[in-house]
Amino acid sequence: MEATEKREKKGRKRSTEAYLLLFLIVVLGFLGIFAHGFYDLNNVMSILNRFSYILIAAIGMNLIIITSNIDVAAGSLISAICIIVAAFGKMGVMFWGLLPIAIVCGMLMSALNAVIITKLKIPAMVATLAMSQIYQGVLPLLSHGSIYDLPDSFTWFAFKAKLFGVLPASVLVMAIITVIAVLFMRYSRFSKKLYAVGNNANGARLAGIHVDKVLMAAYVIAGGLYGVTGVVIATASQRVTPTMANGMEMMFIASVVLGGTSTVGGSGRIQGTVLGALILAIIGPAINYIGISPDWSNAVMGVIILVSVTTTIYEHKKKRVLPEEVGEAK
Amino acid sequence: MKKRTHFEFNFNMALFLILIVSFFVIAQRNSAFMSPDYVIEVVLKNAVEIGMLALPMTLVIVTGGIDLSCGNIMVLSAMAGGMVGGKLGSLAGVIVTILIGAACGLLNGVIIARARVPAMITTLATMYLYLGIAKGISKGDSIYSYPAATALGNFELFGLPIQIYIYALLAVVYVILLHRSCFGRKLIAIGLNENATRYCGIDTGKSIMAAYLLEGLTASVAALIWIGRFTSLKFDAGTNLHMKAITVVVLGGTSIVGGVGDMRGTVLATLIIAVFNSGLTVLNLAIDAQTIIQGAVLLVSLVVYEAIHRYQRNKKLIRG
Repeated sequence: MEATEKREKKGRKRSTEAYLLLFLIVVLGFLGIFAHGFYDLNNVMSILNRFSYILIAAIGMNLIIITSNIDVAAGSLISAICIIVAAFGKMGVMFWGLLPIAIVCGMLMSALNAVIITKLKIPAMVATLAMSQIYQGVLPLLSHGSIYDLPDSFTWFAFKAKLFGVLPASVLVMAIITVIAVLFMRYSRFSKKLYAVGNNANGARLAGIHVDKVLMAAYVIAGGLYGVTGVVIATASQRVTPTMANGMEMMFIASVVLGGTSTVGGSGRIQGTVLGALILAIIGPAINYIGISPDWSNAVMGVIILVSVTTTIYEHKKKRVLPEEVGEAK
Repeated sequence: MKKRTHFEFNFNMALFLILIVSFFVIAQRNSAFMSPDYVIEVVLKNAVEIGMLALPMTLVIVTGGIDLSCGNIMVLSAMAGGMVGGKLGSLAGVIVTILIGAACGLLNGVIIARARVPAMITTLATMYLYLGIAKGISKGDSIYSYPAATALGNFELFGLPIQIYIYALLAVVYVILLHRSCFGRKLIAIGLNENATRYCGIDTGKSIMAAYLLEGLTASVAALIWIGRFTSLKFDAGTNLHMKAITVVVLGGTSIVGGVGDMRGTVLATLIIAVFNSGLTVLNLAIDAQTIIQGAVLLVSLVVYEAIHRYQRNKKLIRG
């Protein structure tokens, strides 16, 4: 029984990714025919850069959502990291110094979220909501507006660090993180604990898993990844504002959800998130290129998420036998 | 059952105490805050829209759902109404506003209840969708108010702005709806255990859809007042409104996981947030400090709520 269910679930997930891939190929083909200049080198590289920072944070978000929690403070947290990174960058700290600082700050701030969720027993949704408000208030007070006139050493990562002279270095970082994440989710024992906690936290606890520790680890890892994203976003300009990444958490959550991870927890794979992030990274610029006013980009994004999620769930429902379907409502 | 009403009464008392204390602390620092004019014109008037969003949001959260799109429903219906109202007159504007609000709410409800997509994801997607449509139809420009909406936003009756009457009326209706009606019972039952409720013969889908429809409708009423009060609107005006509405609901003692909710708490919480928002301005605190305090209030209220709840549960366990 368990085995068949497992096989069925696996089949569904594979089909989610197949759908996404198909959709992606259709969109890319369509753009190739109708959008002149979409495949210009500059445009492709800027999309890849956008893709990489969305994906890096979305992988972190994926870990959190697998445990059936959520993090709506991600955007404000990344804004905080951007400001911290910029403050150090102003002092002339090079990229190799900025990256560890950002990762550690991200981990610490995200750990604070996890402490509030696990120790004070507040649902993740509202806890991170409250934290995001606090960040949004603290940042402008501490930074007194934006930090500007940043030195070249600061923007080195975005403008000078190119692989083979063209590919943004952020893509390399993203590739490394994605490969590690896929392997990690596949082979590590810890990843199994993540799924267990997401499926049934109480059952996992009775099976001997330290649930709070697993949640803490998921948030801390995600925080580190937010740190990397923060560096990629901050170094892309000479002026860093305290609201730079506010609201981006919705983009990350959307990539994860689009990638077939259920917000109820306990399922989802990194591969799906990769495709989800790629689709979301393409949509914004693509709309511009096919001649629709960029004003409509949000609407298109909403429709795509809605349609893809609804069809996935519909497919999922069709495959299930009746008794299970009745018992399904969360 | 008696126990529970006792507990809820306690939490509302705590909220009331917070309200009174914060009001008088602020009033003591700056006596201008005490004047009835200020209380009515600034403190209450500024909170009406968020309060209106929070009322149906309580119903939605009680069912275990959430509506992230409510702020953008408000923006979209205000903008569509404004565009039509400017050309075809006030009546058309009002009708379009209400219709758009209802349609948006119904769309959320249908997707959540019939397609069974989790509320969080649905409303996340429709949040983008409604914002995008508002941005698309207005092309990023401001939309201006029209006579009927201006009247709703500025007209005064017996010395009180008309929107306060509307809010009070809605608050009474929603308190009755959640606590004194069959519909409210159903919603609470759905929040506690959706499957069991369905097996009891209740059409859970219909009740859930009704809750989201009410959210859309009430948001459109708020939209009328909103555009009237500000005379012009841009598409990005409603970005954080859903967060504010959720803050109010949670502060009011409604459990975010559903099944436990108190509409009177939501009303009290609206007043608390209203006092904080204008009070901190009176005390010359920066707008950012206000955001921090709002976040802190939310966090503290959650901790307190959890603590009270656990205490109650333990007491029950020992006695039982």
